[in-house]
Amino acid sequence: MFETARFESERRLAGSTVVALGLAAFATMMVLIAPGILDEFDVDALTESFPPALVEAMQLDVIATIEGFMALELYWFGWLLVLGVYVTYSAASTIAGDIDDGTMDTLLAAPVSRWHVLFEKFLALLTPILVVNVVVLVVVYAGTRFVGEPIAAVDLVAVHGLSIPYLLFWGAFGMVASVLAPHRQIAEGIAAGSLVATFLVETVADGTDIDWLGLLSPTRYYDPVAILTASEYDYAGAGVLLVAAAVLLVASGVLFARRDIQ
Amino acid sequence: MPSLDEQSTVGTMSVIHTDELTKYYGDVRGIEDLSFDVEAGEVFGFLGPNGAGKTTAIRTLMGFQSPTAGSATVLGSDITDGNALRTVRANVGYLPSEPGFNEAVTGRRLLEYHGSLRGDVRSDELLELFDPPLDRTVGAYSRGNKQMLAIIMAFMHDPDLLILDEPTSGLDPLKQEEFLEFIRAEQERGKTFFFSSHILSEVRKVCDRIGIIRAGKLVALEEVASLIDRSGKTVRANIAGSATVSEFDIDGAHDVTLSGGSAAADDATETNGGDDATSITFTYTGAYEPLLRHLLEYELLDLAIEEAPLEDVFMRFYGDHDPETAVEHVENGRGDRASETTDV
Repeated sequence: MFETARFESERRLAGSTVVALGLAAFATMMVLIAPGILDEFDVDALTESFPPALVEAMQLDVIATIEGFMALELYWFGWLLVLGVYVTYSAASTIAGDIDDGTMDTLLAAPVSRWHVLFEKFLALLTPILVVNVVVLVVVYAGTRFVGEPIAAVDLVAVHGLSIPYLLFWGAFGMVASVLAPHRQIAEGIAAGSLVATFLVETVADGTDIDWLGLLSPTRYYDPVAILTASEYDYAGAGVLLVAAAVLLVASGVLFARRDIQ
Repeated sequence: MPSLDEQSTVGTMSVIHTDELTKYYGDVRGIEDLSFDVEAGEVFGFLGPNGAGKTTAIRTLMGFQSPTAGSATVLGSDITDGNALRTVRANVGYLPSEPGFNEAVTGRRLLEYHGSLRGDVRSDELLELFDPPLDRTVGAYSRGNKQMLAIIMAFMHDPDLLILDEPTSGLDPLKQEEFLEFIRAEQERGKTFFFSSHILSEVRKVCDRIGIIRAGKLVALEEVASLIDRSGKTVRANIAGSATVSEFDIDGAHDVTLSGGSAAADDATETNGGDDATSITFTYTGAYEPLLRHLLEYELLDLAIEEAPLEDVFMRFYGDHDPETAVEHVENGRGDRASETTDV
């Protein structure tokens, strides 16, 4: 029990560390340049120079605070997009990749069920999710205090904690792509492409006539800007993401149990 | 988990039983109507050229893909019953034709991982026979080392049934011999083997019975000894004087070739056995008496009658010249055998 989760977690550790260090370096840079930029910001001039729809979509009105700056520059881009793509891409490569290179045959020759294999490979995605979140949380907490622009610790913990349901959703989505696609690259393309597409839809649709379309986007249910600038924690949204993740995971299990491994 | 002992008390249940097992990939035939049994304690050779459907059959038996039609059981479990098959796999060792591994980890870590999944009771002992460099990452392994690692994984939990897909591929000749020796020893310990191969000489060394598969269909199923019997003899005769091919068109003679004497009249100086001798070679599948009577009509200088090489037998089943006839021949032969066995 959980041998596969352990084995896969070990294998994810190196990649997770690289992503954590990359995002930590990016976070450090943002934290260090933040005070200088914030001093010079003229929010009114900025919001006037762009169309209102764009200001709304990019949430530019909050960028003049350290919370808003970090939410937009680091979390909105780094978490919703970069880390989300990394997690869903990793998930998509699990089953499809093992089938492509014959590893799945070696694995399924053992008395393990496909449900277990799939679930434990999903569990191993917690390695990048947790490693990156913990490392960057520490870096941002310490960094903002170092430059004299501290962000409330509770909000920081919330922005990282509530990203976990969002990332688990994309992990589960990647698992579905992984069991459905005939090859690894196709699975990875479907997973990463879907994330980018829904991200763009939510960004464009927010506050417009097609706002309802954003309801389909996972981005709608995790809002780092609201968490950091207004301390609004969307627990219901997190619940929606967790339920959706569970549904996708069960669906991928059913599909995997039935499919031929060729 | 049903052990072989329990099964033998149940009755005559085969270790592997297939009944018209069929697998199509879309319109492409993988295997069709495979029906055979593998009995406890035997080494069953599953013989066929690459692409004949050996791996398809094995992967269907392992439950990796579901059959299009027909049915099969492995150690009494229906191959379409995922849970039953999973339980049974604790007692099955499987060696894939192209073993795939996570290449970024060391052989040692992989053995530890797979041992934790299926149990490890004898990897130490196996590592004395098969010795891949465990501390290197598997990505740096040669094909032979990967094969040895896969062999250890197939045997490490000491299963009763071993399903081996081209197990000697990638091994150097010495290791191949050691491996075949190992299979014989394991058979004596009561293990059952389902052994696919396209190499007759190795099958002949270890297998009790063989099934020959061609284009997805089973074209022969019999004991190795009987196959060799039925495959006939190679007859080499050296006679004085000249002869023609048509003179040897006797019942049971195939592929008659002549050399020397009249057959090479323009080049008489190069004949073997004297100025006026003819060498005749053919495969013979009849009784000895008519053959000898016919040969005695000539002045025999030399005569050798020996077992036909299994490769030639194999060629008959796959005969490039006329495969349909070859299959027909085999299927008729199989019909005869079936009636013999029902008499017993």
